[in-house]
Amino acid sequence: MVAGLLPGVRVLDVGQGISAPYCAKILAQMGAEVIKVEPLEGDEARRMGPFPSDSPHPEKSGLFLAMNANKYGVSLDLASPDGAEAFKGLAAGADIVVENPPPGSLEAHGLGYETLKTINPGLIFTSVTPFGNRGPYKYFKATDLVLYHMSGHAHGLLGAVENPDSNPPIRAGGHQAELVGGMAAATATLMALYRKRITGKGCRIDISSFEAMVNQLISGLANCAYGRPAPPRDARKVEEAAAAGMVSAIGGILPCNDGYVAISPREDVQWERWLGVMDNPAWATEERYSTRDARQKNSPALWKLLSEWSSNYSKHEIARWGQEQRIPCFPVNTVLDLFNDDQLAHREFFVEIEHPAAGALKYPGAAYKFSNTGLPLAARPAPLLGEHNESILEKLE
Amino acid sequence: MSDLPLDGVRVVDLSWIIAGPTATRFMAAMGAEVIKVGSGRRPDPSTRGPAFQAYNQSKLYCALNISSPEGLELVKQLIAVSDVVIENFAVGVIDRLGLSYEAASAARPDIIMVSSSGTGHFGPHKDYVAYGSLLQHYTGWNSISGNPGGEPVPGGLWADPWVGMELAMVTAAALNNRALTGQGQYIDFSMAEALTAGIPGAILDYQMNHRVPEPMGNRDARYAPHGVYHCVGADRWVAIAVTNDEEWQSLCAVIQRPDLAVDPRFDNADGRRKHQEKLDAAITQWTSLLEDHEATRRLQETGVPSGPSLDICRVFNESQLREVGYINQIQTRDGELRELPGLPWRFEGGEEPIFTEAPILGQHNEYVYQELLGLSEHETNRLVEEQIIY
Repeated sequence: MVAGLLPGVRVLDVGQGISAPYCAKILAQMGAEVIKVEPLEGDEARRMGPFPSDSPHPEKSGLFLAMNANKYGVSLDLASPDGAEAFKGLAAGADIVVENPPPGSLEAHGLGYETLKTINPGLIFTSVTPFGNRGPYKYFKATDLVLYHMSGHAHGLLGAVENPDSNPPIRAGGHQAELVGGMAAATATLMALYRKRITGKGCRIDISSFEAMVNQLISGLANCAYGRPAPPRDARKVEEAAAAGMVSAIGGILPCNDGYVAISPREDVQWERWLGVMDNPAWATEERYSTRDARQKNSPALWKLLSEWSSNYSKHEIARWGQEQRIPCFPVNTVLDLFNDDQLAHREFFVEIEHPAAGALKYPGAAYKFSNTGLPLAARPAPLLGEHNESILEKLE
Repeated sequence: MSDLPLDGVRVVDLSWIIAGPTATRFMAAMGAEVIKVGSGRRPDPSTRGPAFQAYNQSKLYCALNISSPEGLELVKQLIAVSDVVIENFAVGVIDRLGLSYEAASAARPDIIMVSSSGTGHFGPHKDYVAYGSLLQHYTGWNSISGNPGGEPVPGGLWADPWVGMELAMVTAAALNNRALTGQGQYIDFSMAEALTAGIPGAILDYQMNHRVPEPMGNRDARYAPHGVYHCVGADRWVAIAVTNDEEWQSLCAVIQRPDLAVDPRFDNADGRRKHQEKLDAAITQWTSLLEDHEATRRLQETGVPSGPSLDICRVFNESQLREVGYINQIQTRDGELRELPGLPWRFEGGEEPIFTEAPILGQHNEYVYQELLGLSEHETNRLVEEQIIY
């Protein structure tokens, strides 16, 4: 049994979907004992998928399984007096409660922070909601799509396009806004837990997923504070900006015979080495490609020449040749490529867990390794609905 | 003594560019004393321009040439009186400088050392040269982002800020463990793995259904309608996500289409997904006559998840950010009062996070070398002249 970094820390995860459960998942993989408290009909994530053969099944939702591995699970009707009592019993022995209801709904059951702190004064109570428990949008409803767009990220995802009015901003795949909300919650909660270890104090933490998303763009916000305009989404305006020397990174995607490769030989020395990878083509000596500024200004023509060359080779070949010359370049990988990636395999990034209903699956593991402490990344599969009712709830009585 | 969570924690910040400085910004705002160590020999690219104010708020900044023997000795003395060291140089650089975890923990046995790199610090591709934007391609993150059938997207700015927050998180976890056990850590962090960990649905879909998940633009595998709809004005859109039948009924009422509300083809999400082009057209008829914030207001009034699709300057002006105090006014050294970003969380009833202007290189030399390390003024001056403190 691997102890992890947080032995003895007990967490109640009253979250549904992604944001709060992701926070609790992080705490679980750091070694906390996390008890997931689900309503009788189960967490919303059990209905989210992906499902094997696209057939919905409450014990086989990929997102539920990924978000809730390494947790224990109980089911409780918090609206019933017995359920509320049991919840209070669990909260009395917890260090942390994580929730993501519409603002105030645990309070509606008489189970808000004000109640719980009378039972457990050192409790850390973390709420993750789309806009936090504050401000004019406090009661606004938002999903991942809405938060990705409202926070400014969608505006930048596609880069510049020919016609913005027929090519709208789009969101990234997955559930990035909800994951960021969960990561912000885990960060703040672990800081609060550290304070609790030193001072004994608990607290209530209010997380806004919107602010967590906005906070990913602090350099853009700082530009606004200095009166700079937002980067244009209209390609014609980008050309003007480039001519005025405002766009500096040289990099992009090249077509290959099996997909794409992303390259960025932005410094002059990198560019020299990149030309070597391409066997020093004759056009490279032309004046319009000889300096970084010149390459930036003539990038459409340049990119065409690069693409003619790259189309003859595979993305993995080009990435390897480039990296051998210390040029930043990587294949544009699909999920399939990830399972064949030597680096991820060598670092044992994927973690296989056997689940009684969904079978053996490989889950993304942790991006970090601690030299002196192992992490319990595969301690147990996500709980079946109500799986630990008997072992956990009966102990309370 | 403040009441902030990281009060009393001292961080030696050798990091640069975006990810590392983002992590230490969180720590500094939450009460840690973050000492950014840099050198005029090789300035941090992120200290140019307005981004400097965002990434380096609330920190101290001393100058030190750590590639000189005396500079190395001084940074070790600083580590000896600190709790955390963080760096995000290319793999191997910190070891060549003589500041491996072994060296750092010799100076301070319970030090927490956080090392972040593109692909992690061991493995066959540990030396791969990486930028965050390229890692978004390498890790599959961009493979599910974009328009269906389109070219891979550039991907926006995601990797570095995402990793920055996660680095603060792992540091807080290690501090907890040290408080419990007295033990420090070396943390090997891979930016690539942090991004791949952000697409669990796609990774499980591939295993469950033997298909490579593809980008869906604004669409969703489950919900409909789900997209952005053109409003009054160039490139103005409102995002709408209907996540259940009740919200669908509310949407039909707002857009004044009672006929759609009773049409059995649209009774459930599967039906609505099948006919989403038709529904999108009906919604656009309504949104195209409204400003994006006005459309949002009307939709939210009846409980339909929605919001305008904003560029960063419109985000900056959002009433929500201003009224909740996310944007703080800070006087910067140019004499202006600037509105700068804060933190995405509140510790209710607790002390406000610390936000001060970003420092300039060498601003806190006297504090670091004389007060903390006990050097004399004379000795400090010699080190400045010899370009050790530089």
